[in-house]
Amino acid sequence: MHQYVTVTIDGAKVKARKGTSVLDTALRYAICIPHLCHLPNLSEIGACRLCIVEHVQNGRTKVTTSCTLLAQEGMVILANSDRIRKLRRNIAELLVTQAPNSRAIQDMAVRCGVTEARYPFRQDDCILCGRCVRACKESYQAHAIGFVGRGKERHVNYVFGERPEECVMCRACVTLCPMTVTPCDGPMKPGEEYLCGKCQSVTQAPQYQVGDCVRCDLGQGFDCARHHQ
Amino acid sequence: MPKITSTQNLEVLHERLRAERDDGALLMTICGGPGCQATNCQDVVTEVKKELGSNGLNGKVRLRVTGCHGFCEQGPIMVIDPSNIFYHHVGPEDVSEILNRTVRDGETIDRLLYTDPATNKKVVTEADVPFYQAQSPTLLSQNRWVDPLSIEDYIAIGGYGGLAKVLSGMTPEAVIEEIEASGLRGRGGGGFPTARKWAACRAARGEEKYVICNADEGDPGAFMDRGVLEGNPHAVLEGMIIGAYAIGCEKGYIYVRNEYPIAVDHANEAIRQAREYGFLGKDILGSGMTFDIEVARGGGAFVCGESTALMASLEGKVGEPRPKDIHTVEEGLWNKPTTLNNVETWANVPSIINRGAEWFAGMGTDNSKGTKILALTGQVKNTGLVEVAFGTSIRTVVDEIGGGGRDGRTIKAVQTGGPSGGCLPAALFDLPVDFDVLWEKGSMIGSGGLVVMDEKTCMVDVARYFLKFLQDESCGKCVPCRIGVDRLLEIVTDIVEGRGRPEQIELLKELGETVAQTALCGLGKTAPNPALSTLRYFPEEYEAHVSEHRCPAGVCTALIEYSIDSAACNGCGACLKSCPYGAIQGEKNTLHAIDPHLCTKCGICPTTCNENAIIVQ
Amino acid sequence: MSDSLTTILEGRRSQPHMLIEVLQDIQKAHGYVSREAVSTVSLELGVPLMEVFRVANFYKAFSLEPVGKHVVTLCLGTACHVRGANPLVEQALSLLGLEDEGTTEDRLFTIEAVNCLGACALAPLVILDGVYHPNMTPAKLRALLRRVQRAESKEGVGHA
Repeated sequence: MHQYVTVTIDGAKVKARKGTSVLDTALRYAICIPHLCHLPNLSEIGACRLCIVEHVQNGRTKVTTSCTLLAQEGMVILANSDRIRKLRRNIAELLVTQAPNSRAIQDMAVRCGVTEARYPFRQDDCILCGRCVRACKESYQAHAIGFVGRGKERHVNYVFGERPEECVMCRACVTLCPMTVTPCDGPMKPGEEYLCGKCQSVTQAPQYQVGDCVRCDLGQGFDCARHHQ
Repeated sequence: MPKITSTQNLEVLHERLRAERDDGALLMTICGGPGCQATNCQDVVTEVKKELGSNGLNGKVRLRVTGCHGFCEQGPIMVIDPSNIFYHHVGPEDVSEILNRTVRDGETIDRLLYTDPATNKKVVTEADVPFYQAQSPTLLSQNRWVDPLSIEDYIAIGGYGGLAKVLSGMTPEAVIEEIEASGLRGRGGGGFPTARKWAACRAARGEEKYVICNADEGDPGAFMDRGVLEGNPHAVLEGMIIGAYAIGCEKGYIYVRNEYPIAVDHANEAIRQAREYGFLGKDILGSGMTFDIEVARGGGAFVCGESTALMASLEGKVGEPRPKDIHTVEEGLWNKPTTLNNVETWANVPSIINRGAEWFAGMGTDNSKGTKILALTGQVKNTGLVEVAFGTSIRTVVDEIGGGGRDGRTIKAVQTGGPSGGCLPAALFDLPVDFDVLWEKGSMIGSGGLVVMDEKTCMVDVARYFLKFLQDESCGKCVPCRIGVDRLLEIVTDIVEGRGRPEQIELLKELGETVAQTALCGLGKTAPNPALSTLRYFPEEYEAHVSEHRCPAGVCTALIEYSIDSAACNGCGACLKSCPYGAIQGEKNTLHAIDPHLCTKCGICPTTCNENAIIVQ
Repeated sequence: MSDSLTTILEGRRSQPHMLIEVLQDIQKAHGYVSREAVSTVSLELGVPLMEVFRVANFYKAFSLEPVGKHVVTLCLGTACHVRGANPLVEQALSLLGLEDEGTTEDRLFTIEAVNCLGACALAPLVILDGVYHPNMTPAKLRALLRRVQRAESKEGVGHA
């Protein structure tokens, strides 16, 4: 017997299985909370911070990531408040200017409302979401790749940079990487990056409402939890 | 020494040790804190030991090498009691004279006395030194009377008396109530009520629980925990044992920075002694309580000051914080309920128990009780460790205790709370040292670092400095901290290098607020504070950099020029020799000149010129 | 396995939480953590190789490359910064011909900048081979390093 709790997300009272995260609960009810580092069946690290929500408690609200917040009886969550939307947009802007050459991130940025890039573009290939690292360690028990170094130096690598025998080239890491969704117009040239904005037409369709899951192609490409249901 | 098996036996030992130390012999105390060690107090100690042996004063003088007294600027420091004579800058060459004249003949040696810069008068006794006068020493002053390697010294001043009181009749709940009544709040930065933490941990489910002492003092410009742990390690141990009793746990850890080797040694030695005397181990003081402590060395990562990262590090893992949706008092070290307090918090506990909550709550302000040790550093005359009651104004600390600006310069700000704190302008110096007041003003008391800045400090450069620090020390796990702080640094670097645009100031604010609200851990959440607080209080300096391409303090190299004042230069050649880039030319005894194409504005030559002839503007 | 490594691992085998303590001792004994040490520690403590490597990379206390014969530690804490630590870095780097922190080609010197040593009252502070040098100035630092360089070149001649 599973125990259930009732959680209010953006005014909707929904039932959640006890012990599941607020993000999983929301996605189950087709309430779209943008997310990037979250993957079903992998541990949550709360790294990308896109899935932030406001947790209302005793008249005060606290911003926290919904992937690491476990649903509890009577919990009140605001996943799409003005405050959250602004913060989420600013985080998406940081991500898209860091890795403009990813369709997954370009699309995500548009859906989070990024319309201008206020920082110079960089051409990073990796935004350290850690999908690959966790899949390698948790799903395949290989532990062949990991986060190495700290701060700005943090990157994904093998031990001493050499592929160990534990890596059997299963390519799970590649499949799960948001960078592998082929950009609509092909890779951008260094120095000529721009905000693509092409998928804006989808998000601006009349029936689309912020927070609604539109079962976007993007989700399929980089394994949104919704596409597993 | 056989184990002490009851609180009565401890009282007997205490009386004996106190009497032994009260035998009328002169007491010569030499400060062996990190500051005095760096100025070679060990040589003085060696010399004293040698001389005492050879001139027959052995037995008449007791030598004690202690932890930090606080007045590091004047080291090595020596105090001779009971007459309380205070000597500063003592060298090994002075020892024989001190023994002959002061110890034997009772004269004071003028040359070694401290001169009060305000009155230009010599000060004879330690009690009259202005640096100490405005302080409220309760914790730091114990350093003066204890050889950190001697548990007997600590017992002689009443040490472990708090533990005895707790074990001879207080219930764990009563201990927590006493701490609650004292109003003690965490000294590590957060200012969280200690009793509430203890109570939550006590109430948490689970047999196995842990207490941890956070001695990973990583804030640049802070060294009070070092001063306490090195100078009075038993106070920390006693606090932890009392805490362990109140919470109900059998195992504790002291997590020390490896950069503090003396603190590691002293903590280990103190633990060894405490076990020998029966304050740690099984059946403590015959009460049946079991508790032991281990020292773990940190690996050099600022982020490990954050509680979840510290616990990960204790488990032998990479020091990455984890989301705190579940508190560490419920799931901490090895997912067991854990209480983490900072060195100074633990060290305050024995006195609160011993002297009562009322005594402690009698000091301080409404919401900040007791005293706080501050590390006073930067552009101020008297640097060192100072302990003041909460509520003391910043002005008192900076002007009265600190003696005001160096070299006659005007103080314009203090930076409090390390990289998580902020800068407060001189106009706010009447604010009290208080957890909540400083927080409201965009800074925080933090762990107690207080770095004084004067007109030669550029506030935009200070913001850049801290952002660089944080970029370096961020674990890199979450986006707002890793990329956000990097972008903040990028913007501020643009500004200090003269490429700043007006709209970037707005962006700096917006991004700063985003990082503050969305970062994963405390490090990230407070990372924008130095930038936001300088922006709040010194907007005109940002303006000058952005609109006028000018650095008012003459610090930012892209915006300044070096030249030589033809009236002041005497052609001594000091600057010429010092320049690593060959940018200074001139014959001996004739006017020198700086080649602006070769000059990198590295800042070396002004420090070598005795005539102040290098103009920076 | 080298003797010192055996001693360091004594009583700590199969205890994953001793990883940092063990690496500290290795760093102290050998001056760096070698590839061999990383694999041995992984086996003996029962920690995945990746985790040992990550820990060795994460903490400043560990170096995966051997350090120079003399280590110059420059403190860049706030107090040192406002009292002029940057010119000291410039001076040390230019004198030893280094672009950035690191070890000179002849392996005689390693320059490392640290973020605070907790001796802020003595700012700016430089540590040369474990000895504190308080209230440093570029000129004093130059003299200090030159002295070591001279002693080294004499020693070099003696050996040849």
